[in-house]
Amino acid sequence: MRAATATSASAPVSLFRRWDIWAWVGLILLAALYPLSDPTTARLLVATQIFVLITLASNWNLIGGMTGYVDFGHLTFFGIGAYTVGILMTRSKEIVFAPQLSFWQAWVFSGLAAMVFALLLGAATLRLRGPYFSIAMLATLLAMREIVRLLTPITGGGGGLDLPPELNRIEEYYLSLGLMTLSVGLMWWIRNTEFGLSLLAIREDEVGAEMRGINTTLHKTTAFALSAFLTGLVGGFWAWQNTYIDPDVVFFEPRNLEMIIAVVLGGLGTVWGPPLGAVVLYGLREFFWNRFLFAHLLGLGLMLIFVVLFLPGGLIGLMQKGRAIPLHELLRPRPAVSQEEEA
Amino acid sequence: MSTPILEGQGISKAYGGVQALYRVNIALYPGEILGLIGPNGSGKTTLFNALSRVIPVDEGRIFFRGQDVTDARPYQMARMGLARTFQVVRVYKKMSVLENMLISRSWRGVRAWNVLRPSRRETYQRAWELLEFFRIAHLAHMPAGALSGGQRRLLELAMASMPDPEVFLLDEAMSGINPALVEEIKERIQEMRQHQGKTFLMVEHNIQFISDLCDRVVVLHQGQVLAEGTPQEITENEAVIEAYLGV
Ligand SMILES: Nc1ncnc2c1ncn2[C@@H]1O[C@H](COP(=O)(O)OP(=O)(O)OP(=O)(O)O)[C@@H](O)[C@H]1O
Ligand SMILES: [Mg+2]
Repeated sequence: MRAATATSASAPVSLFRRWDIWAWVGLILLAALYPLSDPTTARLLVATQIFVLITLASNWNLIGGMTGYVDFGHLTFFGIGAYTVGILMTRSKEIVFAPQLSFWQAWVFSGLAAMVFALLLGAATLRLRGPYFSIAMLATLLAMREIVRLLTPITGGGGGLDLPPELNRIEEYYLSLGLMTLSVGLMWWIRNTEFGLSLLAIREDEVGAEMRGINTTLHKTTAFALSAFLTGLVGGFWAWQNTYIDPDVVFFEPRNLEMIIAVVLGGLGTVWGPPLGAVVLYGLREFFWNRFLFAHLLGLGLMLIFVVLFLPGGLIGLMQKGRAIPLHELLRPRPAVSQEEEA
Repeated sequence: MSTPILEGQGISKAYGGVQALYRVNIALYPGEILGLIGPNGSGKTTLFNALSRVIPVDEGRIFFRGQDVTDARPYQMARMGLARTFQVVRVYKKMSVLENMLISRSWRGVRAWNVLRPSRRETYQRAWELLEFFRIAHLAHMPAGALSGGQRRLLELAMASMPDPEVFLLDEAMSGINPALVEEIKERIQEMRQHQGKTFLMVEHNIQFISDLCDRVVVLHQGQVLAEGTPQEITENEAVIEAYLGV
């Protein structure tokens, strides 16, 4: 238990002496070499989808797992990213009177737009705790989808937007690999810093964290905005590689659920749980649910129930007890300070 | 006397119909050990919450180190040099004892980007020293939730000491700690006051402890200051005796 926990070490250990990051680097290098084996485009696409799911799960974990703000509507940021790219690549002339942007130019804005939205939204929702935050975020997601559907002149409404055709699967593969490497690497780094420790402190006891000098508002807002930024980038990427977006494919409920389930399945609040959970979840989906497509959401729901009931610590929890935090602990309403004080 | 380091002027706080505090004045001078006593429910913890900015007050002003901090947030108080413990202990139960200590580090001179690195060597060193002093170093890698009540109090005291604060607010911090160790902590408190000029405000129900340690005592009763004076004056005060006996 000690060796693997960064901060449980008795003394500071250089970050580069940790084996987990080197294992990760090794995996990434292998993945980077994979296209050299001349795989089919179908396989490249599968790999890309896995990378995307890992990235989404890892980003979600920053706010949901490490900070303890269980975001039931995180797909909002994915949607903002997707539509930012979609709009800037196809309609920037009509809407912002700017020249049509290339994907790379538009992509930068997808992350920024999601982040700005998170800052504005977070100012209100991050004051809520436990289940109240979760529900507010879910409501935001549903509202966002309807807004996108209604704003036809800008978003194309239900008819969607056609992006310039793009069929370079190799490029997509490397881009998603890079994005995943960045996201997961960032989570690992954060988890090993004082910033990460502060997030964990906030997750467990916000009043205690404040009293020990942690500016909780600043910390959780930063985590939320960073998480949204990275998720916006994934959305932007996804819109580009899918070459078509509409409210239903972008704000696709199973995707919203999958990023949460991947994290809970892998191990909430851990660095390696979300990637592990995402891979396992993707495997399950391919081998099982694709045969029962109609029951996709049902399957995901049952899966979540199963994990919450029988595997609260996730897969990481099987290996290291107490490492991951059970979902229900984050969803219990947290009493206000003074009431708890007056026990 | 010099100017107070921490001062509450006319503080009122009501919970629904309960007037937990009513126009309370309290001043804590640098380098003093001030006791705060009173029957259960007299408002001691509420006063602590107000002074440490954990709860908003209805009325009155709070000053800390010459600044009006009535609207400050707890983390600002902490960074200005105030540390407190809670009557209902607040440790991070899921995290190891050592992690609890690392989290409670000093924020002095910390810039935003400084937090983007692992805990520093000095932080670890100080954490170990304090854990040794409070006799819980052997528990360093245990989750704090696995500690006994007394051990948690010790951990919380150690955490409060981590950033080397100027002022300590201790809310029944000695309850549940074994008497021998209480004696040692008492000596340590006296030492810290003498050599480092630290200031303490402490709530304790143990009058003996208060008399031994405190220079002055403030008595709260039904949310108001009933009496104030040296421990001896207080123990001889008729009104105080009455309040405690509930006559
Ligand atoms: N969050 C709260 N909600 C409602 N009433 C409260 C709250 N906190 C305190 N009170 C009330 O305020 C009064 C003062 O409580 P406080 O906790 O400050 O007393 P205390 O002096 O610390 O008592 P004790 O010695 O038992 O710790 C009590 O009547 C209590 O019921
Ligand atoms: Mg009390």
